[in-house]
Amino acid sequence: MSAAAGIAEAAPGTGPGQRALRRFCRHRLALGGLAMVLLLVLACGLGPYLVPYGPLHIDLGVRFSAPFLGPHLFGTDQLGRDLLVRLLMAGRVSLTIGFAAMLISTAAGTLIGAVAGYFGGSVGAALMRFVDAVLCFPQIFLLLALAAFITPTLASITLVIAATAWMEVARVVEAEMKSLRERDFALAAEVLGASDFHIIFRELLPNAVAPIVVAATLNVARAILLEAYVSFLGYGIQPPTPSWGNMLNNAQEYLVTAPWLAIFPGVMIALAVSGFNFVGDGLRDALDPRLERS
Amino acid sequence: MTGFLLRRLGQSLLLLWLVSVIGFAVLHLAPGGPLAEFTLTPGMTAAELKRIAHQMGLDRPLPVQYWEWFRRMVVGNWGRSYRDNQPVLWEIGARLPATLELMISSTLIAVLLGTWIGVLGAVRRYSIFDSLATVGAMIALSIPTFWFGLVVIYIFSVLLGWLPPGNLHTTGNSSFLNYAWHLIAPATVLGLVTVAIWSRYMRSSMLNVINQDFVRTARAKGLPQRVVLLRHSLRNALLPMIAIAGLQLPTLLGGALVTETVFTWPGMGRLFLDSIGYRDYPVVMGILMLSALMVIGSNLVADILYAVADPRIRLR
Amino acid sequence: MTDQWDGLLRGAMARAALSRRRVLGAGLAGAALLGLRPGVARAAPPAKPTGQVVIGFSQEPTVFNPLMPHIEVDQGVHLNLFSPLWLPNASGDFVPELATELPTVANGGISEDGLTWRVKLRPGVTWHDGQPFTADDVKFSFDLINNKNFRAWLRNGFNLMQDIKVESPTEISWRMAKPYAPFLALLSWTFIVPKHILAKAADPNTSPFNNAPVGTGPFMWKERVPGDHITLSANPHYFGKGPYLETVVFRYIPDLTVMFTQFQTGAIDYIGLQGITADHYNQAKKLKDRTIVVGPAPFTESITLNLSRPQFKERAVREALYAAMDNKAIIDQVYYGLPSPTVTFLPRQSWAFNPHLAPQKYDPAKAKAMLDAAGWKPGAGGVREKNGVRLAFLNSTTAGNHVRSTAQQLLQQNWRDIGAEMTIKNMPPAVIWGDYFNLSHYDSVMVGEDMMYGGDPDVTTYFSSKAIPAKGGAGQNTMEYVNPEVDKLLQEGVSTFDRAKRQKVYWKLEDIIRHDLPQLCIFQYVTIEGTKKGLIGYQPSVYVSCNTWNVKDWYWGTS
Repeated sequence: MSAAAGIAEAAPGTGPGQRALRRFCRHRLALGGLAMVLLLVLACGLGPYLVPYGPLHIDLGVRFSAPFLGPHLFGTDQLGRDLLVRLLMAGRVSLTIGFAAMLISTAAGTLIGAVAGYFGGSVGAALMRFVDAVLCFPQIFLLLALAAFITPTLASITLVIAATAWMEVARVVEAEMKSLRERDFALAAEVLGASDFHIIFRELLPNAVAPIVVAATLNVARAILLEAYVSFLGYGIQPPTPSWGNMLNNAQEYLVTAPWLAIFPGVMIALAVSGFNFVGDGLRDALDPRLERS
Repeated sequence: MTGFLLRRLGQSLLLLWLVSVIGFAVLHLAPGGPLAEFTLTPGMTAAELKRIAHQMGLDRPLPVQYWEWFRRMVVGNWGRSYRDNQPVLWEIGARLPATLELMISSTLIAVLLGTWIGVLGAVRRYSIFDSLATVGAMIALSIPTFWFGLVVIYIFSVLLGWLPPGNLHTTGNSSFLNYAWHLIAPATVLGLVTVAIWSRYMRSSMLNVINQDFVRTARAKGLPQRVVLLRHSLRNALLPMIAIAGLQLPTLLGGALVTETVFTWPGMGRLFLDSIGYRDYPVVMGILMLSALMVIGSNLVADILYAVADPRIRLR
Repeated sequence: MTDQWDGLLRGAMARAALSRRRVLGAGLAGAALLGLRPGVARAAPPAKPTGQVVIGFSQEPTVFNPLMPHIEVDQGVHLNLFSPLWLPNASGDFVPELATELPTVANGGISEDGLTWRVKLRPGVTWHDGQPFTADDVKFSFDLINNKNFRAWLRNGFNLMQDIKVESPTEISWRMAKPYAPFLALLSWTFIVPKHILAKAADPNTSPFNNAPVGTGPFMWKERVPGDHITLSANPHYFGKGPYLETVVFRYIPDLTVMFTQFQTGAIDYIGLQGITADHYNQAKKLKDRTIVVGPAPFTESITLNLSRPQFKERAVREALYAAMDNKAIIDQVYYGLPSPTVTFLPRQSWAFNPHLAPQKYDPAKAKAMLDAAGWKPGAGGVREKNGVRLAFLNSTTAGNHVRSTAQQLLQQNWRDIGAEMTIKNMPPAVIWGDYFNLSHYDSVMVGEDMMYGGDPDVTTYFSSKAIPAKGGAGQNTMEYVNPEVDKLLQEGVSTFDRAKRQKVYWKLEDIIRHDLPQLCIFQYVTIEGTKKGLIGYQPSVYVSCNTWNVKDWYWGTS
């Protein structure tokens, strides 16, 4: 961490990007979060190759082995499968869902927010009322209702989660666009006869990147959490593919007899989600100079 | 002022209608139906199921069903539950107290604890306490509520046996103490998230206020720190929290739903989940409309209160 | 099962030991032992209803008009509030309730041709509100079921009734359009409702009665806190023996783990419907002051196949899949050895159960050979193929059932071993048991089904070729199973009242279905339930949907 801070100081930048980087690096929590996230990604990416068991390998002879006592470091589950390798494989699934849902929800939210904010008028009002209406639902309801439509696969779960998480981005972008489009450079572009498309994507959006990035980071955290909720409520990824959420869901049954089955995935979720939250928080501080003054 | 009120009211009604359309469509278009639970009962046949569906009017076109529902809903007839044939409003009324008990107690925890943490964090900015509070809040927001609930049950009910594993009260014992004893765990679990959110907002709201001129003036006048904090800062810092409270309602409702599931709390969340599971459309729609009403209503009230309380806000 | 027997055996041995001691003349000590603790094992029921029992259910009873669509757990309450004409006891014999005797061909209750029925009713029975019960109530109940505006549960059988006549306040008669033996069983699950209340209702579907039921059963309605519990109190004017309990509380605890915890902590006295999961069985056995009873349940767990799918059309494939199923591992590992393996759809307690069917044997080598012989050759990814059809299929069950999904994953591995690819696609109950199941949209489902209505083995609904809903049939043959010989046997089975003759028919039927394998039966379910020690009278039965059928016989032993 000190090394990173050192680099930031050794190269005193002048642009806003470099200043933001420096601010971010000073944010210890954010760096810690980044480290956690990277570590998790690395572990889930490479880890499964280092564990001598397959995630689907069933061995009924060693069901419910306790952790830290035998060859299975984190113990085994109700079918005698190695919990560690399943946790890591599950991490791939959960992190993939987190990132993919973030990409989709951010893209959708940005698009809707940009259109609503740029064009305003009745189109904008209609879009934003729709956003308001969707925000009126408890998120869990949306999740449950949408999950009922689909057969749970990685892609469909991701879509459902994205569908319940785009509204905040839309709101942020709409507000940002509204104020940006009145600014001189936007008006100038309009006078020069640039197309709406050009103005939105070339002139305005680049100026709204900061809040979008912050919202997107927090959306990864939220998507991972939502995957756990969908699984907890029984609509998650299908067995035998593990995800942190469905591992946790299955573990409820064994809470008393094999508590480690519930504890490990819960800790993994908490680690990943707080990692992204820390990063998001740091980014917010780094990218939003207005906050620094207060 | 009247114009502002009317406009906001009109917008709210429109929003409510939108919610009802979206909710109805999503619910009815989803696969499955309310009669599936009877499929596996001995002797049941698809033909009998079809007959019952027809008797219940489930085979009519969706717009017709929506209009039937909407027309009655507007005049206060929210239909009857498919499961126990009771009026929807009665169903909700029967479950509402339990949910309110949970929500109010956890909000109370959040307001007391969260305000304290937030204020202290703002005053002693960048202190160890502040850092811990920040990290703690963020971790609290990162833990799945249901998992936390399960861990609490495991530790305090299964291992230690201090707290009951769920339910409103022990059967046959409805003393206040018994209720309170059962409330501790779920209120704390639900409160954890609320405390985290509340303390974060409180902190930034307080930071905003502390740096404002009137507070500096008060401090310059030599007023004691306590007085400055409580009389001048806290009051003003709490103002924006009114709006926050309104905005947090959906989160709180969602949290209550999960908490009720884990602690077998016979509240609205539990009813909602069961009703979605059984596709009890009238009840789901009822709860949906009610929660939308609460959310939109509290936003409206927050807006108005905010406007009244802070003259700088122009009523447009 | 094992535990129940174990307990009985130990009890018998203890008693034998005691009596031997007395005989041997250790007189004083023995007598003192017996005399000091009277009735620990078997107290006499109290003279008047005393005490309370809290029953835990993991589903909420919500339907209290017993003639309206309901599920198992609702019947658990109906059985205590209402009375049918007769009710099957734990061994499946009908015991008269509101009737004075069971109508048979021998006693003239049912005419020789099986068309005219005459039922004598118990005199002096009153409804919970004090009004007398008469034959009018019985006629009203039958008419209500056939009333086209009433959302009746099942009309099967009742739609054959004609000329329902009240002969006297204590006698009713009717004619049937054709002889229909299962009707006796159907009536045993038909609770009689009061005419004097429901006839007045503008709409019987929404009558206040539906949430404040009045019956003739051993317990009376007291209150319901929705989502939480229902309280019943003893009916002092009950016509039969009992009840011995003053209050019965049905408590709804939506989560099996939490329900078990509440049983552990003593918040509930009896852990009922859905019971203790197999995972918790070992833990439950060790509980102090609790009696755990593993009793038979009428449900058969099977992989039910959709025979219209090209993969399953050949019997050889079905047989190979069955042979590759490590039934023992599923039962022993996933269900802790509690249920017993079965190859048929009837519970072994049924009088129609055929004990001579060929057992299932786990033999993957044979399974592979069978598939090879039938021309299913390994293709891409090790999955067998024949004429462009891959031996790959979906398997679905109710999402959220962890134990089942564990078994699914075992089967998945079993079948992967012989080159069959099973993909799990579980769904919420409201989806899977809707059109997906009813209209045969599935490849295969894992399901525990009870096919006996009122304990009758008539399975026309499930196996008749005229009962395929996907082809417009009126039944539940979602497997799309067609066998003309089965159709004929099913017809034979319902046309005679002679149990011996019927048994022969059903044995043959089971033999054919065992051979054809439209469903791969795994095991017969058990109920793992428990009571606090000292609660006497609990007895599981496969002839009702819920083991609270005899709460009227329950009481607390004095200790």
